[in-house]
Amino acid sequence: MGAWVSGLQWSLQSLGRHPLRTVLSVAGIAISAAMLLDMVMLSGGIDRSFSEMLLAKGYQIRISPRGTLPFDTEATLGGAGGLVGTLRRDSAIESVAPILGTSLYGRINDSLVTLFGYGIQPEAQALYQLERGTDLTPDDSVGILLSGPASALLHADVGDTVNLVGRLDPQIAHAALMRRLVVRGMVRWIYDHREQPSVGTVLPVMQSLAQQPASDRVSLLLVKVRDDRAAPTVAARLKQELPRLQVYSVADLVSVFKRRLVYFRQLSYILGTMSLIVTVLLITTLLTITVNERLGEIATLRAIGISRTTVVRQVLFEGLALTLIGTVLGVLLGLGTARYLDGILTSFPGLPAAFSFFVPRAESLTTAGLVLLITGSLAGLYPAWLAARAPIAPILRAEAT
Amino acid sequence: MTAVLIGRDLRKDYAVYGQLVHALRGASLEVSSGEYVAVAGPSGSGKSTLLQLIGGIDVPTSGTVEIMGTRLDTLSDSQLTRLRLTRLGFVFQRFHLLPVLTAQENVELPMAEAGVPRQERKARAQELLAYVGLEHRAAHRATQLSGGEMQRVAIARALANRPALLLADEPTGELDAGTGEGILELFRRLNHDGTTLVVVTHDENLAAEAGRAIHMRDGRICD
Repeated sequence: MGAWVSGLQWSLQSLGRHPLRTVLSVAGIAISAAMLLDMVMLSGGIDRSFSEMLLAKGYQIRISPRGTLPFDTEATLGGAGGLVGTLRRDSAIESVAPILGTSLYGRINDSLVTLFGYGIQPEAQALYQLERGTDLTPDDSVGILLSGPASALLHADVGDTVNLVGRLDPQIAHAALMRRLVVRGMVRWIYDHREQPSVGTVLPVMQSLAQQPASDRVSLLLVKVRDDRAAPTVAARLKQELPRLQVYSVADLVSVFKRRLVYFRQLSYILGTMSLIVTVLLITTLLTITVNERLGEIATLRAIGISRTTVVRQVLFEGLALTLIGTVLGVLLGLGTARYLDGILTSFPGLPAAFSFFVPRAESLTTAGLVLLITGSLAGLYPAWLAARAPIAPILRAEAT
Repeated sequence: MTAVLIGRDLRKDYAVYGQLVHALRGASLEVSSGEYVAVAGPSGSGKSTLLQLIGGIDVPTSGTVEIMGTRLDTLSDSQLTRLRLTRLGFVFQRFHLLPVLTAQENVELPMAEAGVPRQERKARAQELLAYVGLEHRAAHRATQLSGGEMQRVAIARALANRPALLLADEPTGELDAGTGEGILELFRRLNHDGTTLVVVTHDENLAAEAGRAIHMRDGRICD
């Protein structure tokens, strides 16, 4: 340990001989390290963030109309009440949340604003977190929940009354149905994208606004299995039992999502590899220049009996010292840039605001740090080899003339 | 007297820009324990090459070198490195101290390599720096020392592992006359205290200081 520490100290002192060169190299390594860290966070973060978002309320299974993804189309499935009842009688299932998603309008004076409406069963809600006010109760047929953007659009707060207009009749451009509802609470809808003006009512109210009361239609059923570990098995069983519907486990949805965002993963691999190559080139170049400048010194060390092993270790320590400093700075830089990039990427239309592309985790930091340290050490191999095989006598002869 | 060094019929050829140079054409010498030998001669006479061969830094084209009874051509590279570390001390014309280390750390370096415990090597380094008159400069970096001081530190470094033989290549070549005289005085004291010395020089005055002077010309020992 002592030799290790003094070796590192010696390395730092050696690197300090050319401070500007060292600072520029460290800056380059830090930028590469930041990029690598961001790419590691990106490649693993998409899956993880999406999976966590799906499991935010503990519902592990989604059931939607055959051939559709949840909320991907306006398709609905009928006879929701009977299906929910059947599923709730399943001993493996703890809870079932039927949800209807539809577009509707809010009336402000003589104008209409477009909203997105969720019909939910408050006793099994899986879509939102209450931020202010009170939650809906199962028999609350006049209450409504608003998202922040919906509240701003309707100029309404908790306790206010809002007018919701169902689908317009295309023949007369007139609302088929209008409801006056009282704002009970302000909520954050988990799957909303930024600035999405969403409202929520109990399911029958939204079905009536969507003009779908008779067939008891819903867009989606969320199913919570009692035992998390049994969720994949239950999902597989439901696929068998409900062949006319589409049953998704979280893993299925993550897989679909990964296919859709495969280019992000490819981008992260390419940029991560490039950042590693840049790191290797930077360290190798700097150390090779340093070794060539110090051949006289190295030959002298070898002449007075310093072993090849010590010389090699010294050069490798310098690579390690550069990498260590660059990595520490790179982690800080990477976390900062990840936050900035995440803000840009998550503002893409259609992406839930709760979703993150870059998820900083200890394992991401560890992976990026280890890869960099190994790479940095390997990058010192060539200059270390040059130092180890430096011919002592010719160099000393050249030095003397 | 015990022979510390025996060199027999040493020849060394090497190529410079494609031209074969016969640097040594059959040189033999023997140095006994406690001797102070100067190898003198003009530039290009082969004296530095001779020093490199007897110091195990270079390998002769033919001939043999024995240090304390050990033939260098029988040693592996790592054994030869170890022998240079523990049995020989080197002083170079351009000092070649590590500029990032202090005088004390430079002197400790060969001892650290030899595995001498930290406390012991610190004490020995301080003792050696005091011997060469630089105890007050122990904490100074090599770059903060004058030429004469650097050469004194280099001598202290060469003595660190108590070598059987001290080899010096033009030790006053980079120093002014006054400073060089101080180094010669130090060599006299070292020899008086029992150190065996072989000093390569083109300076006849320095050669005259030695107990025995060997003169070289065209890769051969003349007398």
